[in-house]
Amino acid sequence: MELPIYLSKTSREPIYHQIENQMKTLIASGQLTKGMPLPSIRALAKDLETSVITIRRAYQNLEYQGFIQTTQGKGTFVADIDHDMKQQMKVAEVYQAMEAAVEIAFKYDYTAEQLKKMCLEVIHKKGGNQT
Amino acid sequence: MTSLLKIMDVEKNVDTLHLGPIHLTIEPGTITTMVGANGAGKSTLFKLIMNLVKRDTGSIQLLDIETNGSDESWKQHITYQAQTVIGWEPFTGTKLKDFISSLYPHWNEALFQKIVDLLQIPLDERFAKLSQGNQQKLQLALALPRNTPLLLLDEPTSFLDIPAKQKLMNLLVEWMEQGDRAIFMTSHQSADIMKLSDYIVVLRNGKLMNKFEKESLIHRHRRYWISEQLPEEGIPGEIGRSTRYLVSNAPEQTESFLQQEQITWTQQESLDLEEILTQLIERR
Repeated sequence: MELPIYLSKTSREPIYHQIENQMKTLIASGQLTKGMPLPSIRALAKDLETSVITIRRAYQNLEYQGFIQTTQGKGTFVADIDHDMKQQMKVAEVYQAMEAAVEIAFKYDYTAEQLKKMCLEVIHKKGGNQT
Repeated sequence: MTSLLKIMDVEKNVDTLHLGPIHLTIEPGTITTMVGANGAGKSTLFKLIMNLVKRDTGSIQLLDIETNGSDESWKQHITYQAQTVIGWEPFTGTKLKDFISSLYPHWNEALFQKIVDLLQIPLDERFAKLSQGNQQKLQLALALPRNTPLLLLDEPTSFLDIPAKQKLMNLLVEWMEQGDRAIFMTSHQSADIMKLSDYIVVLRNGKLMNKFEKESLIHRHRRYWISEQLPEEGIPGEIGRSTRYLVSNAPEQTESFLQQEQITWTQQESLDLEEILTQLIERR
């Protein structure tokens, strides 16, 4: 099974961390559901063109945080994570994306006011309520 | 974890090349690719491991057995695929399979058949009559099913067509998952290295440089796009520059220097493996 994970060349975030976070998002968003089998470490390393050391580290962290479970001889599966955790993940992901956008804006010397205006425009354009 | 292969203080003079001293260990569960310029001694190192070339000094142990001693039981634990095989020319694939499978107690006939089907290898033609690509496919079909803990592959994909390369990657991934095994290979194809390797070793002027873990190697080679004038003198970590960018192999030092000099970069990215390897192979 292949996973829709995309690694960034421009990010300074370590690769194992990128994989870890994107897998959390896939689980929180319900694209990966409880009990689904995950690729083996070697197979994912091939798909994502990383080393097994990197994948092992990401899997270990995910397992430690309760997102996945490994059963000896059977493989790795998506764990049962609770609703609160999913919510937290969603908030964290949106927050991260906003932070990245704000960082870019500040790099171009936008003011907070200009940024707020832009943000509302985007919300409007995407069909959200502008209240 | 004990090493499958231990190379210690190995040296060898071949013609004008002085190889070594070489230190390297290969652990189970890992894939290591050796890269280097043509004629750097990569194939010679494989032959030294196999005792096909005698070492001048040093020790090479496969599962703790010296490969140049009277105990030759190590041969059952290693598969070596050379770039060119000698003596196979008059035989058909079927005949070669009969010879080879009888030598390896863990021969996996089903895997052999699977590879033959997958890569569409003609078995009833004499080896000499096969194209280079088909010869290479047959060599692989006769290598993987031996199921030895260590697999040495000398440029296994150099003649393969694109679909065969893809299939081989999957076969090697499956092969690795069958147990505590390791692959030590050479390749000039960065795609192979990206998809398969955990570690990279660089052979340059007969010397083997450190074993690099692939991600950390890639992560610490970065390009900074800079529109301002750069100072003439070397910048910490600098390994290359053009009028628009700076290349560093020590991003922390480079960034703190740039910040200190109030030089800003518009974009930064990791280098492609191919660029990094070019650097490592050619650096003086």
